[in-house]
Amino acid sequence: MAGADMAVGILGALVLAHAAYITILYRGDLKIKEEEFVRPPIQVWIEVLISLVLCLWAALRVPGTFLPILPDSKENRVVALPANLDFMIFNHRGKLFAPELEAKFTKS
Amino acid sequence: MRKEGEPRTAKDAKKSDEVVETPAYSQENIQHNMRIIYYSRTFLSIVGGVVAGVLGLTGVTGFLCYFVIMMLASAGIAVKTKFDVFSFFDSWNRITIDGIAQGFMSFILFWTFAYDIVHIF
Repeated sequence: MAGADMAVGILGALVLAHAAYITILYRGDLKIKEEEFVRPPIQVWIEVLISLVLCLWAALRVPGTFLPILPDSKENRVVALPANLDFMIFNHRGKLFAPELEAKFTKS
Repeated sequence: MRKEGEPRTAKDAKKSDEVVETPAYSQENIQHNMRIIYYSRTFLSIVGGVVAGVLGLTGVTGFLCYFVIMMLASAGIAVKTKFDVFSFFDSWNRITIDGIAQGFMSFILFWTFAYDIVHIF
């Protein structure tokens, strides 16, 4: 999963490097013809746009998915108690945050 | 006890009268989400810098390029949360404003690198 997105990112970087290479060659040509550099050729613009799209995709997918922060959400349910229960107290102020749970038992 | 018709005084105020809305968030998950945004924005700042350098942008256009890329990143992050922002972050600021200042320095660095490599040397 992450491998495919990483490959997309690397492809984006390669396309960008290729665009840079083409611009360098273009600049060399301009130096020979003694013309001023105004803007790079259309091909470079297209390649840069493609690489931007690919890198945007990779940047959003590779670091991972978001985790919900509300304690009531399904992914944050405490489904197993840890082993060191002897050191835990449950008579604390957490009872003031009474959640409205539709408690479903999940097989785990 | 208060009789009917008498005005409320400080003695009559009960704790259950106030609605204290302090939502309890999972701190670890907030930090995890912030880290994801930070990685995304850093990578995109670097890519944006190289893009600005390759295209030969100078001056204000270059900075504009950075802000456009950051806005695209914010839009992408909003889509990633499926627009249900408040179940992953505590405010819209996290998505729209956070991380832009940190990425700015990386952008300028790579912009200068790329511009020098492509256009000067």
